[in-house]
Amino acid sequence: MTMRILSVLTATAAKAVAMASASMARDLTIVGFGGGYQDSAREALFKGYQEATGTPVADDVYNGEMAKIYGMVQTGNVTYDAIMVEAPELVRGCEDGIFAKIDYSVINRDKFIEGATSECGIGGTGWGAAVFYDTVRHPEGPKTVADFFDVEKFPGKRSMRTGPKMTLEAALLADGVAKEDVYKVLATDEGVARAFVKLDTIKDQIVWWKSGAQPLQLVGSGEVDYAFGYTGRVIKANSEGSKYQLDWDTLFYSIDYWAVVEGSPMKDEAMKLINWITDEGPLRKQAAIWPISPANKAVNEDPEIQKANPGMVLNHSAEGLFINTEFWIEHGDELEAKFTAWAAQ
Amino acid sequence: MSPKTRTSWLLIAPLLLLVVAGFILPIGYTMIKAVENPEVTAALPRTAMVLDQWDGKDLPPEAAFRALVEDIAGESNGMTFGAMTRRLNFELNGTRTILLQTRRKAASLEAPYSASLPAAIPEWGNPELWKLIKTNSSPVTASYLLRALDIEVSPEGTLERVPADRAIFIDLFTRTFWISIWVTLICAVLAYPTAYYISTLSDRAASYAMLLVLVPFWTSILVRTTAWFILLQTEGPINNALVGVGILQEPAQLIFTRFAVYVAMVHVLLPFQILPLYSVMKRQGPQYLRAAASLGAPPWRQFLSVYLPLTFPGVAAGAAMVFMLSVGFYVTPALVGGLQDQMVSYYIAFFTNQSINFGMVAALSLLLLAMTGTIIVIARRLIPNAGNSIQA
Repeated sequence: MTMRILSVLTATAAKAVAMASASMARDLTIVGFGGGYQDSAREALFKGYQEATGTPVADDVYNGEMAKIYGMVQTGNVTYDAIMVEAPELVRGCEDGIFAKIDYSVINRDKFIEGATSECGIGGTGWGAAVFYDTVRHPEGPKTVADFFDVEKFPGKRSMRTGPKMTLEAALLADGVAKEDVYKVLATDEGVARAFVKLDTIKDQIVWWKSGAQPLQLVGSGEVDYAFGYTGRVIKANSEGSKYQLDWDTLFYSIDYWAVVEGSPMKDEAMKLINWITDEGPLRKQAAIWPISPANKAVNEDPEIQKANPGMVLNHSAEGLFINTEFWIEHGDELEAKFTAWAAQ
Repeated sequence: MSPKTRTSWLLIAPLLLLVVAGFILPIGYTMIKAVENPEVTAALPRTAMVLDQWDGKDLPPEAAFRALVEDIAGESNGMTFGAMTRRLNFELNGTRTILLQTRRKAASLEAPYSASLPAAIPEWGNPELWKLIKTNSSPVTASYLLRALDIEVSPEGTLERVPADRAIFIDLFTRTFWISIWVTLICAVLAYPTAYYISTLSDRAASYAMLLVLVPFWTSILVRTTAWFILLQTEGPINNALVGVGILQEPAQLIFTRFAVYVAMVHVLLPFQILPLYSVMKRQGPQYLRAAASLGAPPWRQFLSVYLPLTFPGVAAGAAMVFMLSVGFYVTPALVGGLQDQMVSYYIAFFTNQSINFGMVAALSLLLLAMTGTIIVIARRLIPNAGNSIQA
């Protein structure tokens, strides 16, 4: 009896070990946030690399949940090689050793727009959020952030992203703070209080969204009248027949980065991959099928591509506000707490 | 060990392993994460050692300044430095900037550092900052657990209430338990007659009725919550019907309210109350009620004195399950609730994925576990019969 149980246990253990080692032999894996962007990247970038080099590339989707990546690195079971991350997560992950240092002997630093390369990541794509509304319901809508906060001129429900990021900046802009001073003012207690006083004026009118699909759904169904939404999604909806007006003067933008996960068994190959997919040639192919806003200088500044895709976020930097990564790493926790306390009042 | 004992050990081994690996280890690990405090000592080992000898009055000696500059300028601390800045910034907002500036200037500073460091970055002339480092050089900290109760540790080490404009957690815990208690009560009130009705049906009819209970139970929570989202929205079917019939003049705000949270949570959790109740009611033969009736008890008396006490273990078992599940709800309030309806797990997710502060994650989880446990224990004491709910 005992012997039989033991032999079953041993066999199971042996099988588990065999399965674990089988999972080691996997394709080079690149991970992004999914959606239409990733579909176009798969066609133009990932498959392109596979054809050019003969290295099979698999891609996967995650929600930006860093706990998963930390878990992988800490347990030594790294199944993602290259990964797209937002700027604050890149800085923190780099400090925590979650991402490998970029090998700039493999990656050409000069092809990027200014500020798009760092110790652990290289610029992938710009993204932004701006005010939009349905012109079928409202022929006229808010053109500036101040308009968005003006309930007399534009009565109705508004929708903003849950949390202090972009919300407090918008409140200060609406209250007359100059763009270049926003983060200076927000770094003081008086500045934060001022932002919340301004937010109080529209508090009852705000519906808070959590995922990027929600503002489109809310505006599309008439649940809200005006919303901050991700520009790429709004432009995509317009190309599918929606009549949304987007105002670039209300833009908040940042860059998502490509990084290599520390401890990846295919680190060198991953470096080559993220270098290849940020090159001019592949990005031109991607730009032909999706309105991207790459951090590659040549593609970003190409007048042909700009004309074909007026929604390139990084070309609207003059109108928009660049979200300050370092500010949010330092003040994020405190402002999140203040935001929650304010919301509960 | 006799062969027989060995066999019994082997037989329970899988269960034992499961309990240890799935329950004891994670909770133990969470407890450690909630109090461990390695960041400052790892990044500033020399400074921590010197400050250990410091009495905490005025400014520390030159040795501390030198140790700090050496620690920060040193090569080895590249990776631990970031963790340390965020750890100290959590205690005192703004510290991260000071430390990043210090790192930029550290290499160019010259002795005596007690003069050159405050000259370059004036904040180092403030004893508070040094006390902060000293306080946080100890291997364990209570600050995560305290912060989760809206209490802060000042640089001197005294406890203070978090100012009202940042105090959120007490409110969050109260709200979480308040919502959970209401959901539990509503579920019990709705489930009791439903389960009773099903228990009176013929076997065939009862199995169809059970199917109606179980089909939603087998559907994913996310799908059911999204369905409520569509039903409750301003231009959704419920509002359209109410306006169409003339009950409402214009659509009511149903979605993003506490009402929506209750509706969706009750819908998701109702089967957990119906199923144990049904199994208890099914086993009650009619003889007890007949006996009560033959002794002259009117129907309300039969119910209150006989049927309710007999079926109460089912209520208690279901309620305990519903309550414990509600306390940890995340997706449903996140989707159909407003900002004022979010529960503790919303913040656990925030600290896990955005703030990446596992100390706070662990502290909130532990407190939630402890408070839920306490409430269940108290409820079992207060409510008669609830003690046998497990046997039910």
